Amino acid sequence: MTDELKPQSDPPAEGAVQERARAAATPASARRSKRQFFRKKKVCRFCADRIDFIDYKNVELLQPFIQERGKIVPRRMSGTCSRHQRWLKIAIKRARNIALLPFASEI
Amino acid sequence: MEERIYDLIFICRPDTPEAEVDKLIALLEQTAAERGGRVEKAEKWGTRKLAYRVRRHREGYYVYLVVHGTRGDMIQEMERRLKVADPVIKYLTVRLDDELKRQRKLAQRRERRAARRTRKPKSAAAAQQAAS
Repeated sequence: MTDELKPQSDPPAEGAVQERARAAATPASARRSKRQFFRKKKVCRFCADRIDFIDYKNVELLQPFIQERGKIVPRRMSGTCSRHQRWLKIAIKRARNIALLPFASEI
Repeated sequence: MEERIYDLIFICRPDTPEAEVDKLIALLEQTAAERGGRVEKAEKWGTRKLAYRVRRHREGYYVYLVVHGTRGDMIQEMERRLKVADPVIKYLTVRLDDELKRQRKLAQRRERRAARRTRKPKSAAAAQQAAS
């Protein structure tokens, strides 16, 4: 929509269509390399380490996945796959229950 | 019935004497034995900082048990004992056998897949030989 607002010699709608066509014409690899400039593909840490079971007692393992205030780090930030995030969630909640991790830390 | 595995963690007041903790562990072992289970492992983690305040305490003496058993009322009774025990400020029981089973299954599957990957090129070569 913002493209249409720019002053152009062509009618705005046609310009947008051309833009899209050009994007489709460029090879996928080129487009990806451009995107890599600002977005790096994150890999699930647990998949890389082949972990089948996330132990709630292992505080050092869970620590990187909680924020300063005690929140669980979202997948889009940590890059954890959905399956491991699910297990991680359960482990963190168990650890919270027995005071190994905070529900909400002060400070 | 299949045997179940539980993790049982409880936290005592930091000023609890060691003898008292040992007595508690012995009590739980006895409770488990009475109900057809057993305490497989008992670990004293010692005093560590709590992530938040529990009954106005900032520290607690952690004790970790692994309990095997088949009857549900065993855990019920152990939790009741912990609830009424004076030095205990918090406890948690987690049933773990399903997760351990899943872990074994996944490890097995990975092994099988790895085995298949190494075998595949060989079988393909064999097929080629047979064709020629």
